[in-house]
Amino acid sequence: MNESIKTPSVTDEASTPQMKTKCEHHAECMKVIQAILDDQATEAEKDHFRENIDKCIPCIESYNLEKCIKTSLADKIAKKPCPKNILNTIISKINS
Amino acid sequence: MIVAMSETPAKNDNTDDLRYKIFNREFMPHIDSMYNFAFRLTMDEDDANDLVQDTYLKAFRFIKSFEQGTNAKAWLFRILKNSFINDYRKKSKEPSKVDYQEVETTYNSEEASDTTYTVDLRADAVQELIGDEVANALNALPVDFRTVIILCDIEGFTYEEMAKILDIPIGTVRSRLHRARNLLKEKLRSYASTMGYDS
Repeated sequence: MNESIKTPSVTDEASTPQMKTKCEHHAECMKVIQAILDDQATEAEKDHFRENIDKCIPCIESYNLEKCIKTSLADKIAKKPCPKNILNTIISKINS
Repeated sequence: MIVAMSETPAKNDNTDDLRYKIFNREFMPHIDSMYNFAFRLTMDEDDANDLVQDTYLKAFRFIKSFEQGTNAKAWLFRILKNSFINDYRKKSKEPSKVDYQEVETTYNSEEASDTTYTVDLRADAVQELIGDEVANALNALPVDFRTVIILCDIEGFTYEEMAKILDIPIGTVRSRLHRARNLLKEKLRSYASTMGYDS
């Protein structure tokens, strides 16, 4: 994650009157948001994101939701260690 | 840590020595990630065990085609994914045997992927979900969509690495991820709803 991009907050910004409540190119925005969250955005996408994210409520909400899902996937799903017997089988087959 | 063959003093000209060294240093550290990937693909412990074992034995057999200094984890994931498609998918116990082509056709239309597609789901509702619910939502996705989410969000591969692992162009990685996430949101929403977040 690019830490320099700060997470916008809906509550902080909602009071600003000029914020958009509808996004006319949301599909395009979702692609940029996805690339930003995956840390795969181009410089142009990053610039576009920085300049526009705090102006559009649907995009802020989408960003927060996508980020939350991504974090949940990474942190909440249990990871199992590989069973020891598999490890032993692999090693013994390779050594034989 | 169990290692393959005792490491004799470095003799880099010795091919056998080098093979074991690469195997221990580059491949073994990824075994837990590989096991979890196998388990999420097959959804079956025995199949996951076999798949990991087969993959590591193949990796050892073809170790000469691994270029040192390149990403060993991506190389191993690619072998595992190919073994899964070739050997396990056919006998998969997965009930919803949805072929990717079929799913792709359904979701591939520009309308399906590019219109404003919103699922009524809130971030705070997702935050409340427990690990099992998130895992179940993920497991409910067709395997190709599940795979891109595992690779990207759980394993942290770049789009470029995913393209290599899956043998698809980067553009397809992006669009498949996009669709996978939309499907996942639908699944997550059903869990969130049962918790009273359904407004």
